[in-house]
Amino acid sequence: MTKEERLKKRHSAEKRFRFYGLASIFVALLFVLILVHNIFSKGSSAFMKTAINVEVFFDQELLEIKNGATEDQILEADFYDITIESLLKVFPAQDLDQENQLIDLFTTDAEIEIKRAFLENNNLIGKKINLEITASDDIDQLHKGNYPRDLPEDRRRISDFQLIIYDNLVENKKIIKNFNNYFFKNGDSRDPELAGIGGALIGSFYSIIICLLLAFPVAVLASIYLEEFAPKNKITDFIEININNLAAVPSIVYGLLALQILLATIQLPRSTPLVAGITLALMTLPRIIIPCRASLKAVPPSIREGALAVGASKFQSVFHHVVPLALPGTLSGTIIGLAQALGETAPLILIGMVAFVVDIPSTPIDPSSSLPVQVYLWSESAERGFVEKTSATIMMLLSFLIVMNFLAVYLRQKFEKRWN
Amino acid sequence: MELMNNVKIKSKNLNVYYGEKQALFDVNLDLNEKEVTALIGPSGCGKSTFIRCINRMNDVIDICKVSGNIEIDGVEINDKNLDVVSLRERVGMVFQKPNPFPKSIYDNISYGPKIHGKGETKSELDEIVENSLKKAALWEEVKDRLDEPGTGLSGGQQQRLCIARAISVNPEVILMDEPCSALDPIATAKIEELIDELKKTYTIVIVTHSMAQAVRVSQKTGFFHLGKLIEVGKTEKIFKNPDNKMTQDYITGRFG
Amino acid sequence: MSNEHTVKSYEEELRYLIDSVIKMGSLTESQLVDSMDAVIKVDKDSIDKIIKSDDEINKFRSKIDTQIMTLLVKRAPMAIDLRETISSLKISQDLERIGDLSKSNAKKVKPLPLDLPEELLGNLKRLGELVIKQLNDVLDSYVNKNYDKAKEVWEKDEQVDDLTYIAMESVIDFLSKDKKNLDFSTHLIFATKNLERAGDHITNIAESICYLIKGEYLKGSRPKGKVIQQ
Repeated sequence: MTKEERLKKRHSAEKRFRFYGLASIFVALLFVLILVHNIFSKGSSAFMKTAINVEVFFDQELLEIKNGATEDQILEADFYDITIESLLKVFPAQDLDQENQLIDLFTTDAEIEIKRAFLENNNLIGKKINLEITASDDIDQLHKGNYPRDLPEDRRRISDFQLIIYDNLVENKKIIKNFNNYFFKNGDSRDPELAGIGGALIGSFYSIIICLLLAFPVAVLASIYLEEFAPKNKITDFIEININNLAAVPSIVYGLLALQILLATIQLPRSTPLVAGITLALMTLPRIIIPCRASLKAVPPSIREGALAVGASKFQSVFHHVVPLALPGTLSGTIIGLAQALGETAPLILIGMVAFVVDIPSTPIDPSSSLPVQVYLWSESAERGFVEKTSATIMMLLSFLIVMNFLAVYLRQKFEKRWN
Repeated sequence: MELMNNVKIKSKNLNVYYGEKQALFDVNLDLNEKEVTALIGPSGCGKSTFIRCINRMNDVIDICKVSGNIEIDGVEINDKNLDVVSLRERVGMVFQKPNPFPKSIYDNISYGPKIHGKGETKSELDEIVENSLKKAALWEEVKDRLDEPGTGLSGGQQQRLCIARAISVNPEVILMDEPCSALDPIATAKIEELIDELKKTYTIVIVTHSMAQAVRVSQKTGFFHLGKLIEVGKTEKIFKNPDNKMTQDYITGRFG
Repeated sequence: MSNEHTVKSYEEELRYLIDSVIKMGSLTESQLVDSMDAVIKVDKDSIDKIIKSDDEINKFRSKIDTQIMTLLVKRAPMAIDLRETISSLKISQDLERIGDLSKSNAKKVKPLPLDLPEELLGNLKRLGELVIKQLNDVLDSYVNKNYDKAKEVWEKDEQVDDLTYIAMESVIDFLSKDKKNLDFSTHLIFATKNLERAGDHITNIAESICYLIKGEYLKGSRPKGKVIQQ
């Protein structure tokens, strides 16, 4: 082969390689885009809910409270009659069946919504106001275009009569979409229009905080000891190998561990962020130790020698000089470990977070769910309304993960600039 | 008549082993106070190992074993019970590659005094920082930017910063391990000038690969070869008319 | 460990310098011999030879100077190499002076008067032979790095001084007896003095060689013979 031929062959090989590289990036991006588009298109509608404009009359006779009643008295009072009366005024209904169908157009929590409006403004006795009452799940899905209308009635979830009312409301512009604050405020619910990730969000939050508070100090101190102070012998080699292996253990094994020890033996309350936090901490420990040790190893020995030469003790040289330099790598490793913990589902299922929890947990020892488990639970439900909620929850999870990863990158860059 | 300085550091039958390998063989060497002693010799001859014995820096190497005596002002320092931290307060070290802490210039200098309890108030520390930087001939260049990181200085300035750092704890001895080998001629000249000044206050031991530097800077020179101290004496004598043939061969470039 | 510089060109430069000094020494020696011949036998051919070789000697001087500068700047010589370099400088200076003195003796060669006393000629000859031998010995000691021989030469300067005194006495005697030989006698006085000065320069060379070999200066002052009354 002549020199020219060799050169040409090399150039074409490089071109091919570059093409393969770009092609793989392109394919990967394509998959990501398809995934994101899929989730976004299904989930974005969950952030809005359908509501119907209703005139509500706080009839003095139907209400058994007076002006200036206390909050407790109002909460105790029965708003049912007022609710029904107001709802029935929306459309003329011929018989009881039609009346029930009309009522069904609204959320089961209609009475609570009316009560909430009354609480916010105490001078409403005897007055009429327009309220936007949340629609039922079926109307919500119909309005979002998820229900096909051209099926025979017995195969639809909405009757013909309801369809007539719906079309009428649309024509009169009495049916609108407003921001779905229930998605963020409420816990889980049988009614999709009321279901929210509030409980799961707080549950995840408590779990991650407990995980961080347990895993971070233990992992960092263990790394510092193993890297700086422990003698180099077979025992420490053995420990190092095992830590690396632990990072690769499937997370469900940690769930089993938690089930046996935390729940069965120690008898901690099941399905709580406390147990979830401890389980996740065990799992995250090796994932923090490994980057922390790598960061410590990366600190050049000249720094240690410089500190020792000036008369620092080993302890001082490690904690005043080595650890601060290892901190950026450790922090970014920790954040990535926490981001992984945030998305863990299998171990949390095993410790019982699949329970149906309506209330938002107020302490870490109240039963709760977590974001990924909530996704799992909703994906199992039959109602159409949960589909969008599942996707919306995934969107929330992904955004948290992206934010955490960006934070890790930012912190690393900021600290590394100072060092160099 | 020439004034003879007192002996500050004395080593007797000093032997150092790295595991099975012996690095220093029965070294007997006296170093005088307020004088510069240069240690020369080919790579791996043990000169760095020797000075690291003086401030017990060899302790950080696990497989290193030191036997024999080293005395500073008559006190044995090869003693297991000796407080190494206070030894290193008296014996400072400057390394081949400048290694300032990745902190501000101020913090670099104030770190030593702080951990030894030598500056309690801010004004005391300010004074120590200023004096150290002045003695290291660096004050004028950095007095307006003490908050900037030490690593942002040029190579020569960084090395002077390390010297200032060593001075900040008020030592009696300064050990220098090839301090100029990473520096350009101008920075080197500034440091040699500095050494000339410093020897009025401190005892200095300098390991160097540059024989010309050893001649310029030191009053006493020791020649090491394969772990043994071959010859030691007044610098001018060693370089004009050494007694030992090995010494002469080395300094004239007859390396064999 | 071998005795050669690791950098071969350094070794060569040093050797070349030493060779130049030795060659310069040879030339100077011949010139001295020829100048004695010129003075005693009035040999006109010698005069021509001397003028030519003096040129050569000066050329060597410049060459050696350049070599020394190069060695100093390139090699920063230490210890023995430094002493070698500096002593070649000094020795070449002394050799040049000896050459000049020989030339000076030969330049004003005049026909011998018929009634020159045997004693006078004999003294002059003896002085000349001694100085020539001194130069020969000192150059020998340089080539062989012989300390003892160099020291001997240094000590023998006393003899040179003594023979100078004797020779000078005979010349002054001759001068005082017959005033019409003033011109010739003056020439002889200067020639004798020049031989003594050549002897001093040879002693300088001996000192340089001793310092070169031992690294120490010779102790004590030079042995002095009888001083000539002015």
